[in-house]
Amino acid sequence: MIKLENISFDHCIKCTVCTIYCPVARVTHLYPGPKQSGPDTERLRIKNPELLDVSLKYCSNCKRCEIACPSDVKIADIIQTAKWRYSKKELRIRDFLLSRTDLMGTFGTLFSAIVNFFTHLGMVKYFLDVIFKIPSGRTFPNYASGTFTKWFKSVRKYQDNYADKVIYFHGCYVNYNYPQLGKDVVKVVNALGKGVIITKEKCCGVPLIANGYIKKAQSHGRHNIKVLSSALPDDKTKIVSASSSCTLALKHEYPNLLELDNSPIINNITYITQFILEEFEKGNILRLKPLSYTVAYHSPCHLERMGSAAFTIELLRKIPALTVKILHSECCGISGTYGFKNEYYGISQSVGNELFRIIDEAKPDFVVTDCETCKWQIEMNTKYKVIHPISLLAEAIE
Amino acid sequence: MRYDCIIIGAGVAGLTAGIRCAKEGLHTAIISSGMSALHFSSGSIDLLGYRDNAVVYKPFEAIDQLTGTIAQHPYTKCGKPLIIEALLFFKQECEQQGLFLFDNGNLNHFHVTTLGTLKPTYFSQRSVFNEDVYSRFKAMKKIVIINFEGYRDFHPQLAAAQLSKHSLFANCEIVAKQIEMPQLQDDGKYPHEFRSIDIARIFEKEANIEKIADLIRLAAKDADFVVMPAVMGITNFNQIHNKLQSRTRLLVYEVPTLPPSILGMRIDNALKSRFAELGGVYIAGDKVVRADITDDVVNAIYTNSHPENPMEAQCYILSTGSFFSGGLVSEFDNMYEPIFKLKLHHEPERNKWYNQNFFHRDSHAFLQYGVLTDESLRPYDSNNNIIQNLYCSGAIMAHYNPIKEGCGSGVAISTGYKAAGQIINLLKRMS
Ligand SMILES: Cc1cc2nc3c(=O)[nH]c(=O)nc-3n(C[C@H](O)[C@H](O)[C@H](O)COP(=O)(O)OP(=O)(O)OC[C@H]3O[C@@H](n4cnc5c(N)ncnc54)[C@H](O)[C@@H]3O)c2cc1C
Ligand code: SF4
Ligand code: SF4
Repeated sequence: MIKLENISFDHCIKCTVCTIYCPVARVTHLYPGPKQSGPDTERLRIKNPELLDVSLKYCSNCKRCEIACPSDVKIADIIQTAKWRYSKKELRIRDFLLSRTDLMGTFGTLFSAIVNFFTHLGMVKYFLDVIFKIPSGRTFPNYASGTFTKWFKSVRKYQDNYADKVIYFHGCYVNYNYPQLGKDVVKVVNALGKGVIITKEKCCGVPLIANGYIKKAQSHGRHNIKVLSSALPDDKTKIVSASSSCTLALKHEYPNLLELDNSPIINNITYITQFILEEFEKGNILRLKPLSYTVAYHSPCHLERMGSAAFTIELLRKIPALTVKILHSECCGISGTYGFKNEYYGISQSVGNELFRIIDEAKPDFVVTDCETCKWQIEMNTKYKVIHPISLLAEAIE
Repeated sequence: MRYDCIIIGAGVAGLTAGIRCAKEGLHTAIISSGMSALHFSSGSIDLLGYRDNAVVYKPFEAIDQLTGTIAQHPYTKCGKPLIIEALLFFKQECEQQGLFLFDNGNLNHFHVTTLGTLKPTYFSQRSVFNEDVYSRFKAMKKIVIINFEGYRDFHPQLAAAQLSKHSLFANCEIVAKQIEMPQLQDDGKYPHEFRSIDIARIFEKEANIEKIADLIRLAAKDADFVVMPAVMGITNFNQIHNKLQSRTRLLVYEVPTLPPSILGMRIDNALKSRFAELGGVYIAGDKVVRADITDDVVNAIYTNSHPENPMEAQCYILSTGSFFSGGLVSEFDNMYEPIFKLKLHHEPERNKWYNQNFFHRDSHAFLQYGVLTDESLRPYDSNNNIIQNLYCSGAIMAHYNPIKEGCGSGVAISTGYKAAGQIINLLKRMS
C-alpha cells in the first residue's frame, strides 16, 4: 500500500534541478543523481522491488536536493526509505559499529587513551582499511576521557538555582568525543538565567538511518520522544540541541522517515542559536566582550535543510569585533558516517574539495560550523581549527 | 527573528528587491522554498516583445503606449522612468559579479530559441548577444549548429531547418553537426542521463576546453558562426567563452536549452552572490505557510520548518511567482494565494481559465490572473482592505501576460525594484 502522503514523487516535473545541486552527482557518475534515484525510479520500485537500482546507496542524505526542488518533492526521504525498504540488508560489522555511536562511545570513553592511541596508529588503520573497509586516510575523532553526562552530575544541583529550565539534548558526540561543547552550552544557558535539564537520551538515530538500521532508529526515536516529552515541565520549555543533525532527526526525520509521532515535542525542539536569538529579542541579552578574530562560517547541510543557518549567522554577528566571512554554501562531503567508508571515501573527498578551496581562500583565523562531522572533515583537510558557534559565544561571555 | 524587510521568493523579482534593500543598508532576509523560474528560462531578460500579436522593435515606445492604455498593467504602476532605472540597476548589479548583459540601446534584439525560431528580448548575455554578433549577423555566409553526442535536449537539424526559413538567413548556409565528446569524465563513464548540466561540468574543467575547442574547429572551420547549446559553464563562463573563441578563431554563440537552463542559472548565481555580498540573509529550502495580520498590518510570517517561531519585519515583499512556483494555487474550481489569502483577479469558471488550443496566439487567460494591488504595489485582502506593509512583485501580479507580451523578467525587475523603493522610503520617513 502506498500512503497518500508519501506520493510526493508524483509532484516531480522532471526539471533536473535537484541533480544540479547534488554534491555527489557533481563529482561522480557512479551516482545518477536525486532525480533518477528518487522520484524517477520510485514508481518502478513500487511496482516491483526487484527493480531497485543499487546505485542509490551513493546518496549521502545531505538533503541539498530537497532544498533546491521547486516542487517540494521529498527526494532524500524517498531515497533513504527505498534503501531500507527494498534492499536486502547484508550485515556488515563496520556499518554496525559506525552506526552504534552510543555503544562505541561508551567503550571509547572508558578506554579513551588506548582507543585514541590505536586509531591513530598506521598499522591499525591498515587493518581497519582491509578488514572493515574504513579508509586509512581518514583521521578518527578522539574519544574524551570522561563523558559529558558524568561531568554534568557535578553541576546538576546548581541548575536548581534557576526557576526557568531548558532541556538539552546533547547527542553522542558531545557525550563521548567533545564534552567541552556541552560545558559551553551549559555556560551559555546559565548565563541567560536558565537551568539545564538533561534526560536519559539515546543516539538520535542519524547514523542508524544512514546505515539502514531503521528498526533500531525507530526504537531510539520512540525512546527519545518519550523521555523528552515527560521531562517537559510545561509546553513553553525549549528542548535545545547544538548539533544540526540531531535537531534535524528529532524534528524532521522522526515523522517523515521513521514515521514516528513527534507531536509532543516538535514545537519545543529548537536549534540552540535560534533559542539564544529569541531570548535576545525578548530583551534577555548576554553581555559579550569583543573577540577580534576573523572567522569563516560554513553552514552544514542539515542546518540549511531546516532553514536555520540564518540564526547562527545572526548570532555570530552579535559578537562585538568579530569579523564573519560567510562561505558559499557547499557540502563538506563527509555526511556523517558516509566519509568513513572505503567505497565513498574518494567521493567524500572530491565533494569537499570546493569547500576546502574557499576556506583556504578566505584565510580566516579559524572556521566556525555547527556540525561535528563537518568539523572532522574540515580539520582533516585544511590547516584550520574548527570551532562551534556556541564555544565562541561562551568565550565572549564576560 | 526580526528584520527590516523580509522577501518571500527568490526569483528575479525577489532577488532584485533584496539587492536594492540590502544595498540601502536595510537588514534584509530572503526566504525561498525552491529554485526559481530562472532555472527554466532562456536567460535573456524580456522587456516587451509583443503587442497585439505583433513583434515589438522599440520596447520603450511600446511601453509608453501601453502605460497610456492599460491602467492596471504592472508597467503602468511603475512608469517608464522607473522601468529604465530598474533595468540599469539590474544590469550594474549583475556586472558586479562578472555577468555582463548586452542590449541594443532603445531596440529589442533577437535570440535564437532551442527550436531555431527568433525571439525578441532586451538583455542577453555576451555569448548570446554583443556588438560582434550584431555587426556580423548580416554578412554571414555559413552557420554551423553543433550538438554533443548523447545530448537529447537539443536538435541541431530541427534548429537549422527552422532558422533557414527566416528571411535574415536567406543567403546563408546552415549546417548541423554532431561532436563526439571524448571520454572526458573523471571516471571514464558517461552519466546515466546526459543533460545540459552534465555537459556544463565537462566544460568547467579547464583541461577539457582545448580538446573541445579543437573538435569544434574541426567541425566548423569554414563557418562564420558556431551555434551550440548553452552549456559553457555556470561560474567561469567568461573564460570558457573567450578561450573557445580564441582557440577556434570562430564566433561562438549559445542557444538556450531545455531545462535546466545554464544561462538562467548564471543569473541566479550572480544575484544570490551579490545579495550575500551586501550582507543579505538568504534562507533556502523553507516555505512560508501563513501570516499573522491584524488591522491590515502583517505582524509576522511562519514557515514549514518553524511553524511556531515567527519571522518578523517592518515590511514584507511577496514575490512567490505564479502557479508554476506555488505563489498561486489552483484547485478544480477555485484558485487562491496561499500565504496571505489575498484578493485575486480571476474568472470563477474553470473553462475560462485556459484556451482549448494550447499554442493559441492569445495564450491562456490564467497567465493574466494574480493578486490585485494599488499604485504602490500593496495588495488587497479578501475584504478589499489594503495591507499596509506588504508589497507584491513579479509573476504573482495580475493584469499582464508574460508569454503573450514577452515581458516576464522586465515586469519582475521593475516591480521588484519599485517594491524595494517603497519600503526604503517608508522606513526612511519613519526613522
Ligand atoms: C518555464 C518558464 C520560462 C520562462 N522564461 C522566461 C524568459 O526566458 N525570459 C523572461 O524574461 N521571462 C521568462 N519567464 C517568465 C518569468 O515568470 C519571469 O521572467 C520571472 O522569472 C518571474 O520571476 P518571479 O521572481 O516573479 O517568480 P519565480 O521565478 O517563479 O520565483 C518565485 C520563487 O518563490 C518561491 N516560493 C513560492 N512560494 C513560496 C513560499 N510559500 N515560501 C517561500 N518561497 C516560495 C519559489 O520556490 C520560487 O523560487 C519564464 C517563466 C517560466 C515559468
Ligand atoms: S528538482 Fe524536484 S521536480 Fe525537479 S526533477 Fe528533481 S524532484 Fe523532480
Ligand atoms: S540527499 Fe544529497 S547526496 Fe542524496 S541525492 Fe540529495 S543531494 Fe544528492
